[in-house]
Amino acid sequence: MPFIEAHSLGKTYVRYAAPKNGGISRLWRREKQEIEALSDASFTIEQGELVGLIGPNGAGKSTTVKLLTGILTPTSGSCTVDGRTPWENRKEHVRHLGAVFGQRTQLWWDVPIRDSFLLLRDIYDIDNVTWQKRLDALVDALELEGFLNAPLRQLSLGQRMRAELCGSLLHAPKLLFLDEPTIGLDAVSKLKLRAFLKEENEKNGTTILLTTHDMEDMLALCSRVMVLGHGRLLYDGALDLLLKQYDTVHTLRVVYEQTPDMGTLPCNVKQDGDAFILTYEPAVTPTSELLPRVLSAGSVREMTLKEQNVDELIARMYKELAL
Amino acid sequence: MMTKLKSWRPYLTVFRLRALMETQYRAAALGGLVTQVFFGLVYIFLYTTLYAGGSPDLLRDTITYVWLQQMFFRMMFSADGELGNLIMSGGIAYMLVRPVDQHRFWVARDVAGRLVGAMMRLIPMLAIQLILPKELRISLPDGALSFFQFAVSLMIGCVCLCELMSIIDAVTMKTLDKRGISAILNLTMMTFSGNVIPLTLFPDALQTIIRYQPFAQALDAPIRMYQHCATLPQWALTVAVQVGWIFILRAIGRSMWNRRLNDLIVQGG
Repeated sequence: MPFIEAHSLGKTYVRYAAPKNGGISRLWRREKQEIEALSDASFTIEQGELVGLIGPNGAGKSTTVKLLTGILTPTSGSCTVDGRTPWENRKEHVRHLGAVFGQRTQLWWDVPIRDSFLLLRDIYDIDNVTWQKRLDALVDALELEGFLNAPLRQLSLGQRMRAELCGSLLHAPKLLFLDEPTIGLDAVSKLKLRAFLKEENEKNGTTILLTTHDMEDMLALCSRVMVLGHGRLLYDGALDLLLKQYDTVHTLRVVYEQTPDMGTLPCNVKQDGDAFILTYEPAVTPTSELLPRVLSAGSVREMTLKEQNVDELIARMYKELAL
Repeated sequence: MMTKLKSWRPYLTVFRLRALMETQYRAAALGGLVTQVFFGLVYIFLYTTLYAGGSPDLLRDTITYVWLQQMFFRMMFSADGELGNLIMSGGIAYMLVRPVDQHRFWVARDVAGRLVGAMMRLIPMLAIQLILPKELRISLPDGALSFFQFAVSLMIGCVCLCELMSIIDAVTMKTLDKRGISAILNLTMMTFSGNVIPLTLFPDALQTIIRYQPFAQALDAPIRMYQHCATLPQWALTVAVQVGWIFILRAIGRSMWNRRLNDLIVQGG
């Protein structure tokens, strides 16, 4: 039996809004709107997988996470996590999961973070020996020594995020939800955090579900992604396959010694200073066909093949899927 | 028995943590101290003028009532905006993934903040009494038993108050903003807890209603025993009323919390 199994999961919110027309009557009139945040989502996740959840804002990512944590009850469909239905016995369910919500905090602002960890120990009913061992290991891996006695407000954003992660993992949850864990972090902190997550996943077999807009996170961590848009699960599979699908346009940057005689090249040409930016689709015009013609147009001083940036690919995907 | 005790651990820890946190706010305590002494003196001058030529006993009782109200002001009007912040910022999402009874957790936290916050202002305020002229000072309690009754009832009263406040918090979860309800509440609280005018000074015809309403349980009920030692049946009645309110308010608060938590949609998540 898979660790997480969701079967045509759906959630419709009811929202009240002021009526479109009507002035003073807005005081007492309101219109009911139904918003389909998620519909017909089916997927399975195995124990120990590290899955990325992507999609533009409002795609249904948070709704999916809230359904899996048991915070929300779905309007249709069913779901089990580790054999339990999340929303049916939430208190028992959440005992086995951890969560980091990137822009929020679970630790107390004004007390030493060790005290916040003590509170978590008692909330999750961990015995002292197990807790101390786990804390030592996490403090070591997340480089938190020296900060344990500082209150949260004195920590930098990077240190704070590491402390949050430590708090979420103290009870050794089987399933960890991460919502934008690297938001606002500098490059070094991001790399450290990713390395830690990778290790936690591999060493302890923690199943991790990551939502992020940072595609570098995805590339570094997730081999599998689920793409959500308009409340639907649009893609579920390997990340590189997905990228390949949208990596259809290549870009060449060429600088000539003298003004070249381009003639009619089978590609788009744009001039940028003394360089020419050529974009073409290898599927239509094979590189082997294009290159000789580019070289014969004049004497080439330099030529670079620009790689597509992941963000651009994802943007193109969102655009093509009309998200 | 052991498992029962163990299940209380998170609530005791949050109590301890909140108490420790409160001791850090020394500047706030100093500010509160100055304000409370100032208002205490203003009220006392007012009553002294008002009672000129009247019963000295009544005046002395009123002065003591005013001082006790000021000393425990922080207990009655606490400013812990944490839950409100969590609601506004969406940090409440973390609450929902914790395997604890959220209502009990927040009540425990609130009791700690209020009691310790009050203690930090109370002790220097007692010291100040020593340098005040005799006619402005607080009177001693009506004997050791009277003080014991006062202290016990005050603890129970604080719990009662926090249960009441948890209902306000549940309303905040619905409206997402504490300002509206706080404005209404502060006025009601000030009036019916005896902060503006001692409840003992309300007309006799109203006393039965005024003594038994929930706002009177936190501070007015203990103060009455500080001033006049209760007989055993009287004391039993007072405690019974306090505990009765705890049960009623808790039942209301819990059901509201459960409803709110169940349909809470985390903002901006």
